[in-house]
Amino acid sequence: MTCKKNISLSVNGVTRQAEIEPRLLLAHLLRDELNLTGTHIGCDTSQCGACTVMVDGDVVKSCTVLAVQADGKEVTTVEGLGDMEQLHPIQQGFWEKHGLQCGFCTPGVMISMIGLLKENPNPTEEEIRDALEGVICRCTGYQFIVSAVQHAAQLIAEGNAVKETTMSTGEGR
Amino acid sequence: MAKLIGTPQKRKEDPKLITGNGNFTDDIKLPGMLHGAFVRSPHAHAKIIRIDVSKALALPGVVAVYTGNDLVGKVKSVPTMWLLPGADLKPKDRSALAQGKTRYAGECVALVVAENRYIARDALDLVEVDYEDLPAVVHQEAALLDGAPLVHDDVAANLALLWKAGEVPEEEFQNAEVVVKQRLYNQRVIPNPIETRGAVAQYNPGSGELTIWCTSQNPHIHRMVYAGVLDIPESRLQIVAPDVGGGFGSKIATYNEEAVIGHAARDLKRPVKWIEDRKEHFMATTHARDEVIEVELAGKRDGTFTAIRVKNTANLGAYLSTFGAGCPTIDFGLMVTGAYTIPKASVVTYGVYTNTTPTDAYRGAGKPEAAFQIERIVDLFAQEIGMDPVEIRQKNLIPAEAFPYGTAMGVSYDSGNYHYTLDRALDIADYASLRAEQKRLREQGKLLGIGVSTYVELCGFGPSKVAGAIGFQGGVWENSTVRVHPTGKVAVFTGTSPHGQGTATTFAQVVAEKLGIPIDDIELISGDTRSVSMGWGTYGSRNTAVGGAAVAIATDRVIEKAKTIAAHELEVSVEDLEFSNGIFSVKGVPTQSRSFQEIAKSANFAWNLPDGVEPSLEGQSFFDPPNFVYPFGAHICVVEVNVQTGEVELKRYIAVDDVGRVINPLLAEGQVHGGVAQGIGQALWEGAVYSDNGQLLSGTFMDYTMPKARFFPTIESHFTETPSPVNPLGAKGVGETGTTGAPPAVVNAVMDALRPFGIKDLDMPLTPEKVWRAMQTRGENA
Amino acid sequence: MKLEHTYTFDIPRDVVWKLIQNEEVLKKSIPGCKSFAQMDDGIYQAEMGVSVGPVKGVFTGQVQQVDQKEPSSYRLLVRGKGLPGEIDAVADMRLDEVGQGTQLTCSTEVQVTGVLASVGQRVMGGVAKMVLGQFFKSVDKEMKQLATHSE
Repeated sequence: MTCKKNISLSVNGVTRQAEIEPRLLLAHLLRDELNLTGTHIGCDTSQCGACTVMVDGDVVKSCTVLAVQADGKEVTTVEGLGDMEQLHPIQQGFWEKHGLQCGFCTPGVMISMIGLLKENPNPTEEEIRDALEGVICRCTGYQFIVSAVQHAAQLIAEGNAVKETTMSTGEGR
Repeated sequence: MAKLIGTPQKRKEDPKLITGNGNFTDDIKLPGMLHGAFVRSPHAHAKIIRIDVSKALALPGVVAVYTGNDLVGKVKSVPTMWLLPGADLKPKDRSALAQGKTRYAGECVALVVAENRYIARDALDLVEVDYEDLPAVVHQEAALLDGAPLVHDDVAANLALLWKAGEVPEEEFQNAEVVVKQRLYNQRVIPNPIETRGAVAQYNPGSGELTIWCTSQNPHIHRMVYAGVLDIPESRLQIVAPDVGGGFGSKIATYNEEAVIGHAARDLKRPVKWIEDRKEHFMATTHARDEVIEVELAGKRDGTFTAIRVKNTANLGAYLSTFGAGCPTIDFGLMVTGAYTIPKASVVTYGVYTNTTPTDAYRGAGKPEAAFQIERIVDLFAQEIGMDPVEIRQKNLIPAEAFPYGTAMGVSYDSGNYHYTLDRALDIADYASLRAEQKRLREQGKLLGIGVSTYVELCGFGPSKVAGAIGFQGGVWENSTVRVHPTGKVAVFTGTSPHGQGTATTFAQVVAEKLGIPIDDIELISGDTRSVSMGWGTYGSRNTAVGGAAVAIATDRVIEKAKTIAAHELEVSVEDLEFSNGIFSVKGVPTQSRSFQEIAKSANFAWNLPDGVEPSLEGQSFFDPPNFVYPFGAHICVVEVNVQTGEVELKRYIAVDDVGRVINPLLAEGQVHGGVAQGIGQALWEGAVYSDNGQLLSGTFMDYTMPKARFFPTIESHFTETPSPVNPLGAKGVGETGTTGAPPAVVNAVMDALRPFGIKDLDMPLTPEKVWRAMQTRGENA
Repeated sequence: MKLEHTYTFDIPRDVVWKLIQNEEVLKKSIPGCKSFAQMDDGIYQAEMGVSVGPVKGVFTGQVQQVDQKEPSSYRLLVRGKGLPGEIDAVADMRLDEVGQGTQLTCSTEVQVTGVLASVGQRVMGGVAKMVLGQFFKSVDKEMKQLATHSE
């Protein structure tokens, strides 16, 4: 286990370098080496989805990816979604619609739902429930997660509409 | 200030959680921190012949390996904290690390401590343990039989406790017009919060102070217990529950791992972290339910119930967990008559040791089992006399005018309007139309089922003298300090320890409304034994009913003192002052006033206080409730059973709950959703499965069915509000309504659907295979 | 867990009887076998790599042959210990003459512990069937080679 490997990856837009054991999981790289503890680990069999992050825009479970596999890639974690000054619509949706209780699964669930909304900007309740297949939430019974995702979809649509109006009228900065 | 109690408010705890800034136990990183991993017994029952740690110790990066023998005289066994009286209780505590014998698969045998978690895991594989396998016993009824393997050599027949309550003369059953009997198995379930258990411990060799951050629902109980286990004064032991990722009862119990990690930190003089992986969690964290319940209900042909007697054979696992003795006895037994006027009742509980993971509380703890047996037997009674399940309930529900109602089990239900709540549920469901639809579909060969449950549960434990009488080793009062800073911002301290309930928000609503200040001016401080003087934690739906009540009283005390100071400054008597919207003003002279913030400053600066008034502005309450609270509700479930596959499709789920006064309807509804999901989970999918030799076969999320989003329809949640007279908020508790109300509603619905097959009962979980097999044999074997 | 597996050899029963207990045959035929050595009369020490779905590990243990009723039956006692858990198996081997060949029926009762049980049990039936299939196929091959050489 002594042969270490240097990797370089972009995490939330910042280039990070690390010297790691080849067997290190991406989840542990993020949490233990890069101190990004927003990504959580809830199981060992890649069922719960608490560790979900984005790698080059794809939704992946970071407990099932080796850190070396993320070498040279762009990783987005919950810390990269938005801050309190400017929340990502999915964060707003979860907050306003009470989409979380203990909040442990939430980072993974939010990222997984960003993946859904990229593919399907206006999902039905059934489509959202199907898309939640890869995550487990023990607190909410999922109902307000569905509301949160619907709300986020609406916010994104409104945001896009505003952008389009601004562009077509030439207003704004 | 606008009214806040009873309004939906976004949560104060969310900003950190949605931005990845929560602070869960595994997020804690201390300089020089080591990592622990436990060697666990692969056998359900075995003698430990030899442990060789030399290879593990030789691995670079391994700092220490502890076995049971290393802890003798240093770490005591972890005691049970519910010493049930009058039950011939034979408490058996878990050794910190197994000594001589292991009694369930997953029991801790050794602890490896290493520089990082990967090395610790590698070293686990290098600890050599030779076992001599012993015969194991898994099921409680088998464990009671002659010749069954003994889990503890000195506990005959594996009988840990025998508890009896209430009496019903035999004639009540012999002479009854109708007696309905049923054996029900309330299967073993696993709470499975998504954050597993864990601990980080840090010792200061200079001061002798030990701090343990751990996943606890009740840090003060953990402090009290671990202080004894580690033989360290409570004053030098600090327990902190940081953000906790759900508990559902499994983080109430005190465990040996946390104590052993504390010892390792003390011994090695370096911080040590241990985080359970999910596979460990399945074996090492408490399970729940696992009760064989035999119930007999006697009554008249007209549907009136006259007597009930219940026998519960409960599987306690290999050791008595913290509150393990209370769940199938007090929690279960006191509630067997449910929401009905049943004049006579008796309960007997056999608590049995087996070679399985210990059982303890899980969302409802005994009450869901009580509700399940009464709601199922009521349906079977209705079926026996050919009455509609709703009609028989309406006939026997305790009438509104009877409250407070003393039951045959000797408890006093505080308040309720059961008929009204049931009527609301029937209206929302449109019950008559559902029955018509069912009839129509049956003619087409389709199996629609409608299930009703009208549950009541016991929550908000109190008063403490009752806790003493039932052997609960602790108080059940709650503590709050409301501390006003010089700027008028407020810190609210509570002895409850929320872990997802949204208490920082609900308690802030109470305080903000009373003080007339913005919610954002209030911060809740909880979960740290050094910040909060004392408290008993969050479980048994006591958070709002007991903890919230203490907050309300402490806030009133702040207002009382502030008023004295304001009156002094305004040179009027206290009686001439009024306080509203955060302003103290002279009655009739609104211009003569002081704001709450001004008084906060005056009180803290103490430049001009009235005689005999001490500086600062702080109120404290130690609230010991005069009685339990009894939330209730009516749940209606509509299912369709697929004749070909046995699959149960949930068509509708209606929950009308009465949890007393609702502080935040948005959060209350969230609690109902989560509880109902877990309740339906038990009814249809979840269940721990052991092999005959005590191996947990449902030991991962691949094998234990955790409910997923697509399993559920939209849950239709509504509330009626019958305030409780027991506390100043009128609140009752909402957390456990779903796990109590849902399992019988769902099972009643499925059995209703299966009536054309003559199937009367099937054990939970009602998996497609089980339902399909029952339909194939047309209920003969069911 | 109970398992039953049947394999038909195109080899006479007395030859099968002799060769199926041959150390060299066994060593070459046991899937993942790393070492196999006779310790005592009828007792072998074995080391074997096992892979059951996601569970992988090396098991060391003893294989003992008892109740030998030549040429029709014997019993194998297997006790193995590895990182993923422990295996305890009793296998009854019955040899029946079928025409010129031999039908071997292996009836096993297996107990496992540890991860092997909690994670592996779900897929173990299938894996065991596969492993036994591989084993008898290899035995068959080895026997045919040996039988040819000795002729």
